[in-house]
Amino acid sequence: MEPTVVTVEREGERHVARELASGTFLAPRPLASPPGVLRLALVGIRAGLLTGDALDLRVTVGPGARLELVEPAGLVAYDHRGGGATWSADVTLGEGARLCWGARPFVVSSGARVHRSMAAELAHGAAMLWRELLVLGRCGERGGALHSVTRASYDGDELLVEDLAFSAPEERDLPGILGGARFLGSVTHFGAGRPEDPADPYLTALAGPGALVRHLGPSAPPLESALDTAWDAWHECPQDPQPSERP
Amino acid sequence: MTAGIGPLAALLLADGRLPVGAYVYSAGLEPAVAAGLTREEIPALLRARVRTVCVTEAAAAVLAAREAVARDPVDYGPLQRALAARTPVAPLREVGAALGRGVHRLALRLAPGHPAIAALDTAVLPGPPVLRPLRPVVTGALGAVLGLAEAELARTVVYDDLQAVASAALKLLPGDPLDSVAWVAQTASSVEEAVVEAVATSKPSDLPARSAPLIEQWALEHARTERRLFLA
Repeated sequence: MEPTVVTVEREGERHVARELASGTFLAPRPLASPPGVLRLALVGIRAGLLTGDALDLRVTVGPGARLELVEPAGLVAYDHRGGGATWSADVTLGEGARLCWGARPFVVSSGARVHRSMAAELAHGAAMLWRELLVLGRCGERGGALHSVTRASYDGDELLVEDLAFSAPEERDLPGILGGARFLGSVTHFGAGRPEDPADPYLTALAGPGALVRHLGPSAPPLESALDTAWDAWHECPQDPQPSERP
Repeated sequence: MTAGIGPLAALLLADGRLPVGAYVYSAGLEPAVAAGLTREEIPALLRARVRTVCVTEAAAAVLAAREAVARDPVDYGPLQRALAARTPVAPLREVGAALGRGVHRLALRLAPGHPAIAALDTAVLPGPPVLRPLRPVVTGALGAVLGLAEAELARTVVYDDLQAVASAALKLLPGDPLDSVAWVAQTASSVEEAVVEAVATSKPSDLPARSAPLIEQWALEHARTERRLFLA
């Protein structure tokens, strides 16, 4: 299976997409971009994730460049009937680079077995705004097995390493882990130059430059609304003329 | 200098009467109770901790112990940073540093001038904010100096966490004190799994990072509460 590759560089005041390679699952499509940022949509070109699927995404933003990734639709991992699937994103940000990525819901159906990984390496002065919503099960389902790993480093130092081992429902439903919540959503600002923090009870500074807002619960709407607030507070990529497009 | 006292060290470090300030710590029970946790759910909370935060802390202690004896000069910096990156919420890092300070005082008393203890300064992260050595790093360093075997050290760290919950339950959700002992005893097989995983960890970047999102949320709620018995 082919990876989706996005490489963006800055040449003077212009942003240049050095490489836009469609992978097996996602195709990067340029959107109308205001000055100072390149906006790309990650368009799904194949249903997924089915058993044996491996979605691979590689994003590189060169020094001083700004990229905004927009996802028109979420992703569903279907019943893998004993198999499994993987989703992995590798992000590399050069000095002073910026990436805003409002990922859409990642739904793990009952019977699915997914390994998900997001690895981000930020050079000095870089920043990444990242939103994710993990959903265990479609409506009425308990949800399948999800193992979601996040690794972010800033200037060579580990900033956040997290292993959400939600494979066994009886374990993830323990008090203190998810306690029965089916939705887990986060907005994280990794790296330098964070705008003013949102007033959110679940805001925390990371162990380095960065901060995280996380909500979990039994339903999506209240959670999405809190994530919207954090996203808006920290979103610093130049705005789109139609802000309603933002996830 | 009390270096190399071996098996007695495990008993000393695991003893709730150890005067290093651990009585201020309910290992997350007080915020859990504030969020509605019942006495009947305490065994499940212990299972959650032993599979998540306890594994990370025990593995960090083991790596600190190896660093304490293996290298010259000793540098706990990479381990402290790895542990901080696996402790995403700030109040839990602050509590880890506060508890670390208590064990550090003990280490300075038991092994004054020992290079592995003096080297704990290398665990200070400049920040901002400055992060003083986290408890598992200090406990690991002290354990190594006292001659504690790795598995014993890991078991001590896990046990201390579970016992902190069980004994805080006597104040927060009073009931038969013998229950507290039974709860901890019931976790035996999970504790051994955590010990095996901790000892199998080879370097800071491999430090286990299984997080417990609700424990983290509760810690953030607790940090904002004015009425509380325990630091966390």
